[in-house]
Parts: sequence; structure tokens; C-alpha cells
Amino acid sequence: MIARPKARLLHVENLSIAFGSMPVVKNVSFALDEGEILGLVGESGSGKSITCRSLLGLLPRNASVGGKIGFEGRDLLGLSSEEMRTIRGRDISMVFQNPSSHLDPLMTLGGHVMEPLRHHFGQTSKEARQNAIDVLRSVQINEPERRVDAYPHELSGGMKQRGMIGSATASRPRLLLADEPTTALDVTVQARILELMRELNRSHGLSIVFVSHDLAVVAELCHRVVVMRHGEIVEEGPAREILRSPRHEYTKLLIDSQPSSLALPPIVRKHKAETPLIEVERLSITYSKPSVLPGIRKDAVCALQEASLTVEAGESLGIVGESGSGKSTIARAIMRLVEPSGGEIRFRGRNIATIRGAELAVYRRKVQMVFQNPFDSLNPRMRIVETIAEPMVRHGLATRAQALERARGLMRQVELPLELADRKPRQLSGGQCQRVGIARALALDPEVLIADEVTSALDVTIQAQILRLLQRLRSERHLTVIYISHDLSVVRKFCDRIAVFRAARLVELGSAEAVFERPQESYTRLLLESAPRFERTLELAGASDE
Amino acid sequence: MPFLFALGQRLLQLIPVLIGISVVSFLLVQLSPGDPIRLLLGDRATAEAVAQLREQYGFDRPLIVQYFSYVSNVLQGDLGRSIRYQLPVESLILDFLPPTLFLIGYVVAISVPTTVVLAIVSARCRDRWPDHLIRAAAILGMTIPVFWLALMMSRLFGVELGWFPVSGYGDGFVGHLHHLFLPAISTSTWLIPLLLRNLRAALINESESDYVTASRSKGLGEGYIFRRHVLVNSVLPTLNLLGVMIAFLIGSSVVVEIIYAVPGLGTLMVSAVLGRDYYVIQGLTLFYAIATVIVTLTIDILSAMIDPRVKL
Repeated sequence: MIARPKARLLHVENLSIAFGSMPVVKNVSFALDEGEILGLVGESGSGKSITCRSLLGLLPRNASVGGKIGFEGRDLLGLSSEEMRTIRGRDISMVFQNPSSHLDPLMTLGGHVMEPLRHHFGQTSKEARQNAIDVLRSVQINEPERRVDAYPHELSGGMKQRGMIGSATASRPRLLLADEPTTALDVTVQARILELMRELNRSHGLSIVFVSHDLAVVAELCHRVVVMRHGEIVEEGPAREILRSPRHEYTKLLIDSQPSSLALPPIVRKHKAETPLIEVERLSITYSKPSVLPGIRKDAVCALQEASLTVEAGESLGIVGESGSGKSTIARAIMRLVEPSGGEIRFRGRNIATIRGAELAVYRRKVQMVFQNPFDSLNPRMRIVETIAEPMVRHGLATRAQALERARGLMRQVELPLELADRKPRQLSGGQCQRVGIARALALDPEVLIADEVTSALDVTIQAQILRLLQRLRSERHLTVIYISHDLSVVRKFCDRIAVFRAARLVELGSAEAVFERPQESYTRLLLESAPRFERTLELAGASDE
Repeated sequence: MPFLFALGQRLLQLIPVLIGISVVSFLLVQLSPGDPIRLLLGDRATAEAVAQLREQYGFDRPLIVQYFSYVSNVLQGDLGRSIRYQLPVESLILDFLPPTLFLIGYVVAISVPTTVVLAIVSARCRDRWPDHLIRAAAILGMTIPVFWLALMMSRLFGVELGWFPVSGYGDGFVGHLHHLFLPAISTSTWLIPLLLRNLRAALINESESDYVTASRSKGLGEGYIFRRHVLVNSVLPTLNLLGVMIAFLIGSSVVVEIIYAVPGLGTLMVSAVLGRDYYVIQGLTLFYAIATVIVTLTIDILSAMIDPRVKL
């Protein structure tokens, strides 16, 4: 774990970047030794990604860059674009956040890996292909001889990211820039990618600049950490020192906002009702593409298989799983947005599939949903107060004037300043938009709130605020919350009971404590082990200090 | 093999389409005003003569029986007989087809390379003077009515300067090229801008995509990135548009064919409509529909060959 620093590899001095007259990075200085992994941490708008891209000269044309980027005794900022091109992909290369969009869909995985080899070393396509297979094997892709000819759409997200790491490390660079390389991936995949990067660092002495918003990931992987905020460095030092005893207020805030260290007010629940509020019994859902010939269905995808669970009134049930596990499908089924192909869902003992007409409208009012993407789920042309008032008018619960008045009341409840009432969604931050989404869901006075990954698009400090808000609303309004998330630490903090889904099946269901402390299923254990956990890393680091 | 299998499936899917086409083209004659028998015999024919011919053509039988005999005729390559030319419709179509096909091939041969070159120049010089120039010319080309441009060009280059013939199809390959030059240019004048704008937008869109940044981070040259990544990813939408336009051209080369007196399908269609030559109209309708289906299928096959994500 502890790398012996050899020589200085990268030296950034007074780096300033501005777009037009707007400064985004201000006087940033840091250094990286050979064989070191440096974490660049910050929230959105902190300038961490821009800093990372400037190291390779990949900024948009309208960016003006000042300062010095020393790499092996040369100032990268002083190089011509021709000279810079010989460094890119050969001495310094980069891995990006979203592997799907950063791979050319019309080029095979092998083609991507072969490109730098052919370009920088003039290898023939035969040599490059053989080397590409070796590279793919070194990034732990199974059956590299076959995968080398696979197109990106034929591969999973983790495999694509491995391929991208392969194409970045094919020419054995000295420095790898990794810009949020695991953010778009599931936790178990993330764990393996992090392990791969650690392995490349250990065996090839590859130095890495690792950009991330996730403190827990950085804590696990990096030797040293630079914390950025508003384009400036607020704190810098060895990872475990900074994370254990942060000096700067902002670093402290970041650490306190980590779901695992978050303090949520306790909930006082009314005594248990006799029957559960929602009963899901042997629910199966199949999506299928209609075939050309009527009657024959092909390509049926089973999204959920015989899942049974109950939701008690007033509780908060966490639904956890990776992409494609069926966790959102069950929420959509409860909302009656998809028809079950088997089994049933009962609300207060009544099968919701049989609810019709006016009663259905009532049911829809009682079960409301908040969505993942705060911007996309709001109508961009509607004022905030109208957005919140709209469902009340639509359901005929109030006149327009009354609804607008109540909407203002709801804005107060979700702690949105009333000045924002007449703004449009684009003028609000992500956290504020998510509050609007919550207020809109509360407008119909629901009993059940389904929150689908509501904080995964938000910064960790904002996530902490939203979780506190949800917790407060839960106890004030006696809301039942179904919280869907891929983030185990959030679910553990926020939920009373947890359902773990995997590949369309419910694999484990139990109280939050039981699931986390005594997981019964091997998959749950794998999930728990994969999730980067802040305290555990610190404990481990503490142990290795002794 | 999976490719052939998918192709087979696609061809199977065409069966309902072809049935639909045959029903429409069959009903065309049945539902159109006027009696083809009367047309054939003239207004002064006796009622007996009309009834006799009606029986001979089978018009007295139930509609469904007539439909099946129509389909079975079509399957045997018999599209009926032209009332005006007194020739089988299929041989008429085959006679008039070559000039139209040649014209379309000519238009494509002019338009596609020009479009690709201009779009690349335009996209690479985005918002600089070559781009502005090309875009302004494109708008001009799209807004000039084809009939007006065709008339002006035939007058100037054909009549005044005498560089090009103003009518006919010519003899031999060179003769065809010479005779159809003005019609092809007139058509390309509106086709190129259409394709150009489409391709330019795609090129600009693709050149801003993430995989281009990723390619830059590998130290690849701009020219290579443009050729190997941007261009290949951009051609698909334009290829599809080209397919639609070709299908459209087969049926709508009427204007230029009439103005330049090219003996093509458009000319045949107009004379058939004016002369109420129902069987020719019916045969042409069927032919246009099938040609459209074939062009679309070809474009889909090409798309699937370029893009591994596209399934037939």
C-alpha cells in the first residue's frame, strides 16, 4: 500500500484556467511522485475535472490556461500541439467517466486498444492485434481472443471500462489520468476496477491522478489527496491524515456529509398497524417486444421474478440492487405504471390491478414518486410554483389560486426560499430542483413516497441535506417511504428495512441492521464488501500505521 | 449466417407490405371514376358490346375473384394492357425505365461526392467564411424551384449557347451522359443542399462527442480522428436520407423529364394520367411501390453493414 516515492513526475504550479472572463481554476499547485496515486476530490464545479483535462491539453478552445505543468522536466503548457500529441497516449493517458460514450460505437474493443500502439510505435496491425489481446488480458478481460473483436454495445459497462483502461495503458504510459472512472458503474464492478488500478500501480509502477467526487473511493485507493472547491485547493496531504483529521472546514463538511457519518434525527413511529400498507405477492413482470407475427412474443425480458415483500405504514423500506436488478421495476409496478405478468400488489388489502376510475385517481394521489434526475423530471418552461401547484389543479383538489398558495406553503416545507417561486428549473441548482420534485410529490398529500435514486445525481453535501429533509418530512407527515438506491451506505442510514435485489430476483429482505451486520446471502455480502466504506478504510489505514 | 437469416426474416416481413400494395393498386382502377370499358370502346359503343367486353375482361365477376386473378396475373408478370399504346404495361414500363434509372444514377453520382466534400469543408471550417459560403449557396439551391431552374438552364445552355441538347435521351453511354446532364444538374441542385445540411449537422455533432475527446487523449492526429471516427459515425443518417430521396426521385422525376423531354417513367406517368390509361397507372403504382421497398431494404442492409448495432 505504501509506495516508496522515487522521483517527481508531475509538478503543477499556479495553474489557472478561465473560460472567457470566468475563472474556473485559480492558482492551483500540486505535485505527483512516480508510483503515486493522487486523489483529486471535490464536488461539481470544483474544477477537478478541468484541472485533470488541462494536464493533457484537452480543454475546449475558448479556455485560457496560465501557470506551469512540469512533466519530466518539460513544461507541457509550452509545447506545440504536435509535441503534445506525442505525449498523449504514450507518456500520459486518460480514462473517462462514461465508457459507453467514450468508445466509438463502430470500432471494436481491439481497435481502440490497437490505435495508440499503431500510432505511437508504428506497429503493424498484426503485431498490434497480438499486443491488444495481451493488454486486454492484463486488464482482466475474460477470453481476450474473442473480446478483441467485440463492439462496445456487446459488452457490459465494467468490461467497456476495462477496455478503456486497456487502451489508455497499452503503450505503458508513466501517468494515468482517471476522471471519475467508476462513477457510472455498479459497486461490485467499481470494486474490481479499483482493484485493477491498484494492481497496475503496483506491478507497473503506474502513477495515477484519480479524480472523484466520492471520498470513500478516494480514501480506499489514493496515497495522497487534494481537496478542491470553487477552483481552489483547500487542503492537501496524505490520504489517511486528511480523512482522519481534516483541518479545513470544507473537508470536515465533506466527511460529515458521508452517509455513513451522517447524523439523522430519530423517527417516532406510531404503533404498528394490523395489516401492512402494501403487500407485494409473487410479483413477476416481463417486458417483451411485439413480434411481426401476432401471437408470438420474442425477446421477452424478465424484469422481476416472483418477488414478495410488504411495506408497513410509516416505515422506510430500502430497495437496493445494481443496474438491471429490477429495483426500479417494482416501484413502477407499485405506481401501476407497468402491468404485472404474474402475482399481485395489494394496497390496504386491495389488489391495485382491480382499482378503476375515480378510485384509481385516489390511489395515484396516495402513492407519489420522486425521480432520479432533478432537471429532466421538471418541465423547463414552467415556473417552480406552477410545477408544484400543477398536480393539485390536475386532480381538481384546488382552484388555481388556492393551489398556488399551497405550493408556496410546500416550498417552505421543503426549505426552498420563496424568491425562487417564479424562476424556471434551469435557474436552480440540482439540490433545489430535487426539493421541487419532492414538494410536487407532497402536493397531493400522499401516504407513500417512492424515491428512485433521488440523491445519486447530487453532490454529497447536497445529498446530506436532502436526506435530512426526507427524514424530517417522514416524521412530520407520517410518510411511508420506499427508497430505491444503489448506494448501500445511504440506505443503511435512511431505511428501517432493506430488500436486496439481484438479476430480477429478491435475494434478501430484513431489517437494516440484520442485512448489514448478518447478511445471509453471498450476494449481499459481496455487495457490502464491494462498497467503498469510509470508516473501514480509515480503520485499515489506522491498523497499518501501528 | 445470422445475416442471411435476418435478411430472410426481413423479406418475410415484406409479404404483408406487398399484399397492401397490391390491394391499393388493384382498387385504384376499381374505385376511380369512369369506366375503363367505356374508355376503351368510346362513348358510342352499344350496351351489348360493353357487356360483352366486360365479361371478357372479367369485370362482371365478384371483386374478390377479380383481385385474385389480378394478383395471379401480376405474379406471372402480366400487368394488363395499355389502352392508349395497345402494348403490355410491363413492356411499356421496361421501355421507359432506362432513362429514369440512368438519370437517378447520374444524380447520385453527382450529388454524393459533392455533398461529402462540401459537408466536410463546411464542418471543418465551421463558422468561418467557407462554411458561410457553402451554407448560403445551399439555401439558394433549396429555394430555387426545380421547374424554373430547369427551364432557365435549358434556355441558356441548350438554346442560347447550344452546349447541351434540350431533349431526348441520346445514344450510347456518352450520349446519355450528354443528354441527361442538364436534368441531372437541375435535380442535384436541390438534392445536394438537403443531404449537405444533414451531413454537416451530423459531422459537427459527432466531432463534439466524447469518443473524439478520448481519441485525442490517445495522441491520435485530428485528420485520422476525423476520417476514422467522425466521418464513419456521421454517414448513417445521411445514407438513410439518401435512400428516401432516391425512392422519391423514382416517382418524382416528372418535372425534369417533362421539361427536358426525357422518355422516362415520369413522362409515361403523365401521359397515362392525362389519357386515363388506367392499367398503366396501376402498373406504375405497383412498380413505384416495389422500387421504394427495394431501395429501403438496400439502405437498411448497407446500414447494418456499417453499424454493428443496427439489426435488419
